[in-house]
Amino acid sequence: MLLTEQDKQKAQISQLAETHSRNRSALIPILQTVQRDYGEVSQFALQHIADVLGLHAADVYSVATFYQFINTAPKGKFIIRLSRDMSSMMKGAKIVARQLENDLGIKFGETTPDGMFTLEWTSCIGMNYQAPAMMINNEVFSNLTPQRAHLIIEDCLQGFRSHRPTVGKIGETYSSALTYASHEAEAGLRNALAMSPPEVVSEVAASGIRGRGGAGFPTGTKWRLAAAAKGDLKYIVCNADEGEPGTFKDRILLSRFADVVFEGMTIAAYAVGAREGVIYLRAEYTFLKPQLEAALAARRQTGLLGKSILGHDGFDFDIRIHMGAGAYVCGEETALIESLEGRRGHPRNRPPYPIDVGLNGKPTVVNNVETLSSISCILARGAAWFSSIGTERSKGFKLFSVSGDCTRPGVYELPWGITVEGLLETVGGGNAKAVQVGGYSGMLIPASQFDRRLAYEDLGIGGSVIVYGQDRDMLDVAENYFEFFVDESCGQCTPCRDGNVKLLEGIRALRQGKCSSRYLNELISLCETIQVASKCGLGQLSPNILIAINKHFRDEILARPMVGQH
Amino acid sequence: MDTASHNASPAATSSARAPRSHAHSHPAVDPNAAPVTLTIDGIEVTVPSGTTILAAAEAAGVRIPTLCHHADLAPAGVCRVCVVEVEGSRALQASCAYPITQPIKVNTTTKAVRKARRHIIDLMLANHYGDCYTCARNGNCELQALAQEYGVDGLKFGRTTEPKYEIDRSNGTIVRDMNKCVLCGRCVRTCNELQEVGCLTLDGRGAQSKVSTFADKALASVICISCGQCINRCPTGALSELDQTDEVWALLDDPSKHVVIQTAPAPRAAIGECFGLEPGTPVTFEMNSALRRIGFDGVFDTNFTADLTIIEEGTELILRLYKALVKKDPAVMLPMFTSCSPGWVKYIEHFNPDMLAHLSTAKSPQQMFGALIKTYYAQKKGIDPADIAVVSLMPCTAKKYEANRPEMVSSGFKDVDYALTTRELAKMVKEAGIDLPKLPKSDFDPPFGSATGSGVIFGATGGVMEAAIRTVIELVTGKTVENFYDHADIVPLRGFEGARMAELTIGEVGEVPGILKHLVPDWNWLKGATLKVGVAHGTANARKVLDDIKAGGPFSQCHFIEFMACPGGCLGGGGQPIPTDAEIRAARAKAIYAEDRGAPVRKSHENPAVLQLYSEFLLGGPAGHEAHQLLHTHYTQRGKFIA
Repeated sequence: MLLTEQDKQKAQISQLAETHSRNRSALIPILQTVQRDYGEVSQFALQHIADVLGLHAADVYSVATFYQFINTAPKGKFIIRLSRDMSSMMKGAKIVARQLENDLGIKFGETTPDGMFTLEWTSCIGMNYQAPAMMINNEVFSNLTPQRAHLIIEDCLQGFRSHRPTVGKIGETYSSALTYASHEAEAGLRNALAMSPPEVVSEVAASGIRGRGGAGFPTGTKWRLAAAAKGDLKYIVCNADEGEPGTFKDRILLSRFADVVFEGMTIAAYAVGAREGVIYLRAEYTFLKPQLEAALAARRQTGLLGKSILGHDGFDFDIRIHMGAGAYVCGEETALIESLEGRRGHPRNRPPYPIDVGLNGKPTVVNNVETLSSISCILARGAAWFSSIGTERSKGFKLFSVSGDCTRPGVYELPWGITVEGLLETVGGGNAKAVQVGGYSGMLIPASQFDRRLAYEDLGIGGSVIVYGQDRDMLDVAENYFEFFVDESCGQCTPCRDGNVKLLEGIRALRQGKCSSRYLNELISLCETIQVASKCGLGQLSPNILIAINKHFRDEILARPMVGQH
Repeated sequence: MDTASHNASPAATSSARAPRSHAHSHPAVDPNAAPVTLTIDGIEVTVPSGTTILAAAEAAGVRIPTLCHHADLAPAGVCRVCVVEVEGSRALQASCAYPITQPIKVNTTTKAVRKARRHIIDLMLANHYGDCYTCARNGNCELQALAQEYGVDGLKFGRTTEPKYEIDRSNGTIVRDMNKCVLCGRCVRTCNELQEVGCLTLDGRGAQSKVSTFADKALASVICISCGQCINRCPTGALSELDQTDEVWALLDDPSKHVVIQTAPAPRAAIGECFGLEPGTPVTFEMNSALRRIGFDGVFDTNFTADLTIIEEGTELILRLYKALVKKDPAVMLPMFTSCSPGWVKYIEHFNPDMLAHLSTAKSPQQMFGALIKTYYAQKKGIDPADIAVVSLMPCTAKKYEANRPEMVSSGFKDVDYALTTRELAKMVKEAGIDLPKLPKSDFDPPFGSATGSGVIFGATGGVMEAAIRTVIELVTGKTVENFYDHADIVPLRGFEGARMAELTIGEVGEVPGILKHLVPDWNWLKGATLKVGVAHGTANARKVLDDIKAGGPFSQCHFIEFMACPGGCLGGGGQPIPTDAEIRAARAKAIYAEDRGAPVRKSHENPAVLQLYSEFLLGGPAGHEAHQLLHTHYTQRGKFIA
């Protein structure tokens, strides 16, 4: 880099830091901006960023290396990230991968000698119903075939020469009729503002809604605790880090019903007494950011954000968007908060919980995109309406992201309580061998249990559903999951970081017919340890798949011909 | 696993978990917080709300194994070795990081807990490359001790057969062998929280996570101050000092070499720990005998040059005060900073290069001694300095670095050939088949003889300042310190508070003593003056003080500030026996102050050997021409940019 170029970069970094009051929370946004403009965050840039933020260079380096979408060494002008989620793999991602390798003359993990393309695998990008899919820089391309992949690369080169931006191509989403589509704009917020904050909390509690991110914590309880927490400043954080493989419903909500989400956040702010809101949007959804910014700007214009919202004196609230940088674990609320503060996404020890000690040490409510959207409807139509849907302990409706071996993948709104079988019928997934519900950290349900119900009474989990047909090899499935967890573990605690490596090695040994039943039992025992001894919920759920296939498909996984010893 | 024949390490059996006393602490438990009664393994115990399960268990006499926990550091809760069952929780909880606020029931040895511990240890062993026999930490390794104590009876998940990382010996002081790292993060927390050097960090994530440096560079290429505090807190052999014992043996084996050793005050208060003695058991004179048996031709006390440092540094202070207060010379920088801690010197060279003019130009006692041995001592003994080798015994890893600084050759030779840590010397003593505590006592050799109590207390934080004040008070007032402080113990300067200040008002002044007559005409300008001094230990505290000075805070009003890179000062040095914690450091401090109390001479300016040195050799007196050549140095503006 020429000296002048360095000066330019220094000036840019200093100015960015200034706009964030030189606060550490500016770290990841600055890294992202430098990354965008220079294609990498060089050692020079890392040190200057450290300098202006009053941090150690090694600390900044450490944060940069945690996130997949930040690179500290040069990569290609076009970074191609092919999604390696199970749905993509089942729909031919490997053939697309070969095509890309052949076209570019490089392997995955490499950059072309001319510096134009870098080829990488990436964790699920939320396009499972249009798999295979890939990102090129921030643009998303779905429904890939080898031919399409070839054409897209040609487009990139031509576009680059004529200075045209790369434009992603996402197909239409199949979805059932969604309640959100008929939501009367701001009706929930207006009703909420007509009540006292405790009444709003009571209404939410009465609706029986539980967190839609997967953990299922009662939202009313969370809000009540946050409202009671002492603090001059409180935060509402919308968790839009939809990283659980196989789920894409939050993306649909954000792209089509962003105002319903923002309305829900505003209601939450009113209920618990928060003045600041943050949407933590996963890096894979960067393409949504302009439209979300526009929606926020429009809300500020119409008095739906800012001072005295809707003329309600003393109710001030605003929302900003904070981009993730490629880390599944940041979907865990305390890791998300760490990330917002400009740190590695390491889940915190709990207690204390975010409702007491959250973002910047202040009481913080972290709610999922879908939870907040439902809140808008609940306040618009009443808790009684919402709680009349679903089952006794599972109130309301839920969005399911369905992909894999079914004829109608997409987003479905269904009341709680439907059986797996019923769901499969709806989506055209007859004759399935097994269904993964709740994403990789959820549960694998074998055909023999398809009469089980999707409800907190039974399978009360996140909204990702991946259908596995009769021909699917369960060890392929498990290997894919563990590759994911080995990469996406934050790496701080021993059971999750090291344990999942041993489980992955075990799966590979099983594939080669080289894992004894005794060692398999040892691995299952290790799974149980990972489930109880890992630091965070994501680690605790990571070994579920091995426990499931051992339970339901033990004969299948142990009966492999031994490889390499004939 | 290659098990060692030793019993559980001291680290594993020590139950000392003193409260944290340093910067960036985890919210400390308020002893007046509401009491909570809980049961641990059926034992009822009452603790203040906010106490961790681990601390409560200790109070209840229940031992919970730990690894990533360290008494000096904020809890991390990452290794998960300390998990316990809290009734009502589905998952196990890390006892080191779980604050008790309700009357919970804890079980520490359920089946799930025992299984988890074993699995976690098994996983660490599976990723741990290197064998115990050849490890610097054999017999004093927390991983080894855990494996032995918690029923590990086989390598369930295999073992690593090839090293993954190259061993980094690049900076000549600290050796990093990441093949032995268990990712507990103690070194990272030490380097960042306790020292605020920010050299060590975590790199990557998931299975690729590792402890690293900026851009994964070798230690020599990044900003490491060589303080060695990371070594003291590493549970395994992943961090150690560059072992130079073989080089020293080679010197001792060479009949053409006259090999002498100087020993600093802090190691003698700690080396006993390497031989099974309680922390704080002084073995100064047994150690002297051991050194002679090993084959050193001269056994000297670094305290001699500590006394000399007081004379030189004290003179410099007086001169600076005189120039600043009387001559109104704007070029004179106050407060003056001490310069005997090489980790601290490197810290300020990197992080505050604009403040180097505050540093005293006096060399550290180690380097003064080296320079004198190869000049004064060589002359006196009639030995060619080329044939003399100077070894020093230091509580410090940064002393290795200091000995190698290119400017440290004022004798015409490398002034100090090798600086050994307390641990390295213990290794040599053991290799020589010597059971140190059982040796007869013997004194130091002439011509430097026994030093004063002031030299001894250099080993504790505040000690340099106390020694300096004893001398300055007497030189200026003409009265003994005992007139102002009982037993000459300047108590306000003692203790372990991270950064502290004291004030001394000088009432009447006396005559300027002969030794200083050529520098200042009289003391009248100090009449009624209040001398303000500061003390900081641990570079995180040093940083606070420097920031305060820059901001014009109270420390900017000081005249003289003592800085030590290591928490507790030299007695908590990076070369001292492992483990370390506040309790152990306090015990070592007690030994040091006891030795001071018992010393026949307790003030540096009364050290007869020092006075003899000025009359025979350093003819220009304190701060004179000869002293300047041999006993003073200069510094380098290093900055923090990493190329």
